Amino acid sequence: MQPAGTLPAAPARPAKTASFVQAGFLGGNEFGLIVLICVFAAIFSLATKGFASPFNLFTLGRTMAIDIVIGFSMMVVIVSGGLNLAVGAIGVCAVMAGGFAMERLGFSWPLGLAVTLLVGAALGAVNGEVIVRSGVHSFIITLATMSIFFGGMVFLSRAEAFRGLPPEVAQFGKLRLMGFLSPLFLVSIVAGLVLAWLYRLTALGRRMLAAGASPRAAEVSGIRVDRTIVGCHILSGILAALAGAMLTARHGAAIPSMAGHLGQDWLLPAFLAPVLGGTLLTGGKVSVLGTFLGAMLVSALTNGLLLLRVGEFWVQAFLGLLLLAAVLLDLGRRRLLARHRIAV
Amino acid sequence: MERPLLEARGIGKSFPGVRALDDVNLTLAKGSIHALLGENGAGKSTLIKILTGVHRLDEGELLLDGQPVRFADPHAAIAAGVGVVHQERNLIPRFSVAENIMLERLGPSVLSKVDQSVLQAEAKRWLDLLELDVDPATPVGRLSAAKMQLVEIAKALSLRSRVLLMDEPTASLTPHETTHLFALLERLKRDGVTIVFVSHKLEEVLQICDSVTVLRDGRNACQSQSMAGMGRQDLVRLMIGRNEQIPAWAERDRTTEPVVLQLTDVSTMLGHKNVSLTLHAGEILGLYGLVGAGRSELAKCLIGLFPIASGTVAIDGKTVAINSVSEALHRHGLGYVSEDRKGEGLVLAHSVLANAGITVWSKLAGLLGYLKDGTVRSRVSPAIERLEVKTPSLAQQVGLLSGGNQQKVSVAKWLAAGVKILIVDEPSVGIDIKTKAYLHELLRALAEDGTSILLITSDMPEMITLADRISVMDGYRVTGTLVNNRDYRQMSEGIMRLIHGEEPAEDRVVVA
Amino acid sequence: MQTFLGKATDTDWFGPLIVVVIAVAAIGSIEPSFLSSFNVQVLLSAIAVNLVIALAQMIIIALGQMNLSVGAIGGLVAIAFAGMMEVWGLPAPLALILALAIGTAAGLANGIIIARTGISAFIITLASLSFYKGVNLGITEAQPFYGIPEAVKAFGNTNMLGPIPWLVLPAAIAGLFIWYLLAKLRVGRQILAVGGNAHAAELSGISIVETTVWAHGLSGLLAALGGVMVVARLQIGQPSIGDDWLILSFAAPVIGGAVLAGGHVSVAGTALGVVVVAIITQSLVLFHIDPFVVQIVLGVLILWAVGINRWREVRVERRLRRA
Repeated sequence: MQPAGTLPAAPARPAKTASFVQAGFLGGNEFGLIVLICVFAAIFSLATKGFASPFNLFTLGRTMAIDIVIGFSMMVVIVSGGLNLAVGAIGVCAVMAGGFAMERLGFSWPLGLAVTLLVGAALGAVNGEVIVRSGVHSFIITLATMSIFFGGMVFLSRAEAFRGLPPEVAQFGKLRLMGFLSPLFLVSIVAGLVLAWLYRLTALGRRMLAAGASPRAAEVSGIRVDRTIVGCHILSGILAALAGAMLTARHGAAIPSMAGHLGQDWLLPAFLAPVLGGTLLTGGKVSVLGTFLGAMLVSALTNGLLLLRVGEFWVQAFLGLLLLAAVLLDLGRRRLLARHRIAV
Repeated sequence: MERPLLEARGIGKSFPGVRALDDVNLTLAKGSIHALLGENGAGKSTLIKILTGVHRLDEGELLLDGQPVRFADPHAAIAAGVGVVHQERNLIPRFSVAENIMLERLGPSVLSKVDQSVLQAEAKRWLDLLELDVDPATPVGRLSAAKMQLVEIAKALSLRSRVLLMDEPTASLTPHETTHLFALLERLKRDGVTIVFVSHKLEEVLQICDSVTVLRDGRNACQSQSMAGMGRQDLVRLMIGRNEQIPAWAERDRTTEPVVLQLTDVSTMLGHKNVSLTLHAGEILGLYGLVGAGRSELAKCLIGLFPIASGTVAIDGKTVAINSVSEALHRHGLGYVSEDRKGEGLVLAHSVLANAGITVWSKLAGLLGYLKDGTVRSRVSPAIERLEVKTPSLAQQVGLLSGGNQQKVSVAKWLAAGVKILIVDEPSVGIDIKTKAYLHELLRALAEDGTSILLITSDMPEMITLADRISVMDGYRVTGTLVNNRDYRQMSEGIMRLIHGEEPAEDRVVVA
Repeated sequence: MQTFLGKATDTDWFGPLIVVVIAVAAIGSIEPSFLSSFNVQVLLSAIAVNLVIALAQMIIIALGQMNLSVGAIGGLVAIAFAGMMEVWGLPAPLALILALAIGTAAGLANGIIIARTGISAFIITLASLSFYKGVNLGITEAQPFYGIPEAVKAFGNTNMLGPIPWLVLPAAIAGLFIWYLLAKLRVGRQILAVGGNAHAAELSGISIVETTVWAHGLSGLLAALGGVMVVARLQIGQPSIGDDWLILSFAAPVIGGAVLAGGHVSVAGTALGVVVVAIITQSLVLFHIDPFVVQIVLGVLILWAVGINRWREVRVERRLRRA
């Protein structure tokens, strides 16, 4: 498929040449994801009783919203050519700090949220600084900090949840707009819009993309690559904290185990969404909409399969295969494009 | 005449937008040392890559022992007896010398035991042949660059290489090591090995080569000609063509203009010693030197990528300490067009707009860093238009443009930033002649408009075409500065003398 | 003596060894029960199991890649081993062979996909981690298998000689085997060559595909062995076996001086890395410190080891430049 709007003189080129954010909509991942989401939604609506029910849409929306923000928190570091294994650990640490502030120190919920996001930003900053100063790959650094953050959190909290949060928190999680829409979903849309604005319409976002695509070229062009990468990790920490806060609203409590051991349970959704959405793992290319849709597809599939009574555990195996299929399809697509380019 | 060992006939190779090789011929006789010469971008490296199986040829054929051959991959070339000793080392640093030499023959099956003593004994044979006195059990990572290179030669020979391609083999060697290497090459030649010697150092070529092929703009300037009776001038003439290639532009003297950049006794962490340079407003100061003379490294220290150890750098008369490229650009109006276009110059995966605008984002950003494509476009478009970048749109991915247009984009981004001082490093590597001529005119026009340019190039005609004055570097020092009188012969000889440090004070022009 | 010390400080095992000696001396003098026969036995069991897990990751680090699915393979093999004995009533030796075969196959699948597609090992093993874990949970529905034969239980909980448990035997064999493989066999040298300089290895006719598949197959086999050993030690087939292997599997090789970019690992260093981790874990228990502090310590150890390795690299480079 060719992009619609290039000049007639231009030879046929792959679709991903346009602007910062992937254009060539019809040829891109986004369109394919929308088609897949529609197809699966139709199948599940017909094959199961509950899929299209307002209550299921409400709970599905909540799950989607959280997966979307988790995906964003990984996406923003993938942009810089790195990764952040500590997203889950940061998310849990941040909400436990927020929970402490609200329950023990009597903070109101906006202040509690501010504490949560600040702690997320601070832990992200720690990651970024250590990576930049040591020059060691983000994989091993965030593997270590994931263990440190999580261990520290459990040590300080004695693994006890904060259940006495201000009632607004749980109310927000239970709130239903128009009978089926969770406000959490709106939060994820706002987060997506902010990120899209960042990458499309700010100097900082452009710097992040350039630093991710080619750190040396970016440095020689006057970009402070180190600072920019720290910036990416701070943003990742904030988004992880936001995802944690959303999960807290859903549970009505801040629970140390809500992202699994060391926060590992978030890793798969965190990578699935950006990879399905066409964000390059090598950095420098991002699709906010793709990540959004990727997370939606994953949540919808999980939900539908559960309704079809495919066991909860087999769904995890299925998601693993989905990730594999996604990267293989992407590889095939790029090879096809490369061949096409040579033919031109 | 004896049948040639390796013959390349009518080789043609194209890359998108560039015809790299056109009807190139090369004939290698058995037991000879054959020089392959050409300026940067003449097609040398493409030819080497075809001979070693890295690239496939589009047209023509390769004959080995008179039989047509096709190399599917680099290993196929090695297996056929065409070995290569690259500048970047193809060795495993933590493996022993013996294991590196014998890597191809560790054992018959994956589960067979590797007998180090057998490997060492076998490797010792080849080391002895090269009179290389190292313990075959030493890890390669502990050897000097010269010894690593000899290990690579030993490895190639042990694979029964009959043709040995050596790409700039003396670049990182001391004079003593070079002498040793040449004695070795002579010996190998007598034993019937054919050596293809690629070097910028013409003295060395004159010293040891029997025949020569010169490429110019992707074609043969001469084909497997005997070196007998050839002098340096002949080689230079073949490489760069005749003298009238220098456009008849007027001589320029800008030394009366105010000084914009002044280096006084600058020593750097990369090893420069007591470098002093003066650049005037609107002047083009050339920085000539052989590969490895420390020119690009000096540029990188100036723009803040590496620290300066001592001495002063002054811009517009004020002493400055530049710690990052960002400071160089935004505070001092200093820009650098890198020689490594694909690695440092451009973000290949991004659009023309993103690449040309990268230097102005900070300046253009509004509240909260707000920055529309339109804002960047209006700032960048004049530069793109002035340089006549051929692109379907500003949204085109830079990696898909031709080399010439890529280079224009990497210059455009500094024009867009409006820098006062521009360091241009090897601007015409890998671009076609027309673009090259265009870039020359542009750089001259920029200087006329008041931009000061520090030009780094190994391309002598380019240097003499553009520079107002030429400073010569060798071994991370400045050996002298000449005023360019645009007389090709005089200038090139003067520069050569300065490189070899033969001529002391009288050639140096005292800079006001 | 000076030169011996000089050489010793260059090796990978010297630093961790000093740490181990000092730690044992210090903890033993404060708390003599640390060196009691029982405690030594507990320590050695933990070391034995963790060494096998660390080796499973180490061989992939040698190749210059990573394997996130080590724990998932271990867990899958663990429940398969236990399940085959409980549900199908297979004799333990047969179940062992089949279990190891399953692990090897899982590793081979990783290797084949990575080598054939050229996609990063990180993403492929993340996908397979999820797949293997899902299959594990799908089969067990998160319920353990309890029907472990007495012989297997005994193997995991009795001593071979003095305070040395039987579990040390397979770990020692695995350690020696991997050392021999990497030092002496062609396949091991190929793995290190690809990790050290993949381009040079390929030019020398080494098949990257073949080497990658071998390394991942071995990693799967070792992960499987780890899973079986944990079943023997715990005396049940827990589906959650392997969940906490990831950090440890990286910590020990890195403490042991492994270069994450590939091409250099040390079995002795890794073994000492495992010992360091075990001593710290055990002493925290001994001093009644919150066990989750172990997580913090593990993380700090990784950062510290990465820092030390980097410092050593810089030092070697500097020495080379002077030479």
